[in-house]
Amino acid sequence: MANVSLQHIKKVYPNSETKKKKKGEPEKKSNLQITEEGVLAVQDFNLEISDREFIVLVGPSGCGKSTTLRMVAGLEDISGGDLLIDGKRMNDVEPKDRDIAMVFQSYALYPHMTVRENMEFPLKLRKMPKDEIDRRVNQAAETLGITEYMDRKPKALSGGQRQRVAIGRAIVREPKVLLMDEPLSNLDAKLRNQMRAEILKLRQRINSTFIYVTHDQTEAMTLGDRIVIMKDGVIQQIGTPQEVFDHPANLFVAGFIGVPQMNFFDAELVKKDGKYAVELGGVSVAISDEKQANLEKNGVQPQAITLGVRPEHIALLGDGAQMLHGTVDVSEMMGSAIHLHVTSQGKDVIIIVQTMDLRGPNQVSITSGQDIAFTFGGNVVHLFDRETGKNLEA
Amino acid sequence: MEKKRTLKDSILTVVLGILSLAWIYPIFMILFNSLKKETSISTGTAFQIPNSGSFAGLENYINALTSKGFLSAFWYSLVITISSVVLILICCSMCAWFITRVKSWYSKALYYMFVFSMVVPFQMLMFTLSSTADRLHLSSPYTICIIYLGFGAGLAVFMFCGFMKSIPLEIEEAAMIDGCTPLQTFFRVVLPILKPTLISVGILETMWLWNDYLLPYLVLDRTKGYMTIPILIQYFRGSFGKVEMGPMMASIMMNIIPIIIVYLLCQKHIIKGVAAGAVKG
Repeated sequence: MANVSLQHIKKVYPNSETKKKKKGEPEKKSNLQITEEGVLAVQDFNLEISDREFIVLVGPSGCGKSTTLRMVAGLEDISGGDLLIDGKRMNDVEPKDRDIAMVFQSYALYPHMTVRENMEFPLKLRKMPKDEIDRRVNQAAETLGITEYMDRKPKALSGGQRQRVAIGRAIVREPKVLLMDEPLSNLDAKLRNQMRAEILKLRQRINSTFIYVTHDQTEAMTLGDRIVIMKDGVIQQIGTPQEVFDHPANLFVAGFIGVPQMNFFDAELVKKDGKYAVELGGVSVAISDEKQANLEKNGVQPQAITLGVRPEHIALLGDGAQMLHGTVDVSEMMGSAIHLHVTSQGKDVIIIVQTMDLRGPNQVSITSGQDIAFTFGGNVVHLFDRETGKNLEA
Repeated sequence: MEKKRTLKDSILTVVLGILSLAWIYPIFMILFNSLKKETSISTGTAFQIPNSGSFAGLENYINALTSKGFLSAFWYSLVITISSVVLILICCSMCAWFITRVKSWYSKALYYMFVFSMVVPFQMLMFTLSSTADRLHLSSPYTICIIYLGFGAGLAVFMFCGFMKSIPLEIEEAAMIDGCTPLQTFFRVVLPILKPTLISVGILETMWLWNDYLLPYLVLDRTKGYMTIPILIQYFRGSFGKVEMGPMMASIMMNIIPIIIVYLLCQKHIIKGVAAGAVKG
């Protein structure tokens, strides 16, 4: 139970600490800013986390999400800014005194201890009475369904069971803040889905504030009250899952959130009779009133833009005159839907077609190499500045 | 393919068998001679198995135990070995922890210094060492462990560093978050994980320390009666070339037995430790 405040947090790795490149090792692609101080791993990170909120930090590898989490944990020094937990500055407080617990990607269980000893360990270090330790450990074990394995060593457990023990060890302390660093990454897809649901249930049962790090946008969307999307050490957008999906702040967020990712086209934003429209491949798409108002409010001038449309918002059936054309490269059968990879306007476009739409009286079959026509509505398009990548409506 | 492999295995078995015999033969020879009468041990009869005429029973063993202060030498050997091994294990595992976890030029330099110390022969240092040990009052069995710490550190740090690298850092970080101080992290988390390597290093150092002759001979103050078993054995070689071969052989046997017992008890841990250190897990 705690408010966590990260104010202008910065992490700089001095140049001498950066690893020397080994011979033959490929150059790593990174856009991290390098200054005289060193490599800026996290820049000007500002976030207010409310009590019992579930915050997810998401982004690609090397974006600084784990570094930020480790700074909250006290495992990394904070180069600049302030970290406050319940209003108390924690920058120089030892990890053990921050009243936080952490679940690691690699479980980090103590291999020489049994499950029970692993869970008792943090409580014993705090010299808690034996009966209180027993009560908390048994309660956590029941919550996580690991009562049968209490006398086993970690090596005798499966990945999912080990992760449960790691979570159990964290929750027995009833910490103010529970930090999770990609806890499900080592599990297979089925177990990951199962554990995701378990974490959601757990969240309702305990009173901690959660900070969760993942590179998996599905995990971020399903678990988080709010999502923080990061790239190259900089926050790209903070919002609820619905907000970041519906109103991505820039091209990066638009491409990162959503599976399959959003389609992007080079298009022209034009203004006809005082109304904005998008021209693409000779087709003009009228923009919805809500978007018109946002563009007007921002004083957006007609310009070359990047147009974004989500695969599920593209329709195959529509007005013949106002349709874009393309050739199907491959189609992926996903059961309830088909993902079509289409080449159109020189770009690879993904279209999701519900299999139900292809059945019935107007039954259609789609094969590779087939020419198709598609369209989308003016209410589902996202308009981005081609130079800066920013959402023109934001 | 299968045939070739079998042939190779057979050749290896024969070669290793011969080597094993060559290694074990002197031990058997010592055992046989320790059971013979003094007069029956001569150049010509040294290789004979004891018979009814030459068999002396445990006479040589009783003689060895009572004549030159074997029990006191055994006690000093035990004190020196145990204190030195404990000191080496604690200090060197801590040092290896520092070297592995603190990434800086001085931790690297420290590591290479330890490795380099393994290639410096003892004979190069022995005279200056004995005089320094004398000045620093390290010439008693209770303080000589400081000198042994220096000589044993090279191998111990090298082996501990190899294994320490395979311990995931997250385990130590989890301990820090759980409430451990650095010392608690080391003693309650790192050291128990190091158990197989501790046993391996412990056995190797024990074998060396128990059998060491030159260093205690040079350093220990024999005017106060300090001597280890290897030094005591030498005292069976009297003046005018007279050697008490029977008690000497019995002493050697009694010196070997404890180390063989230790080795057999911990053998499986040596193999486990070496393998655990070699493979990054």
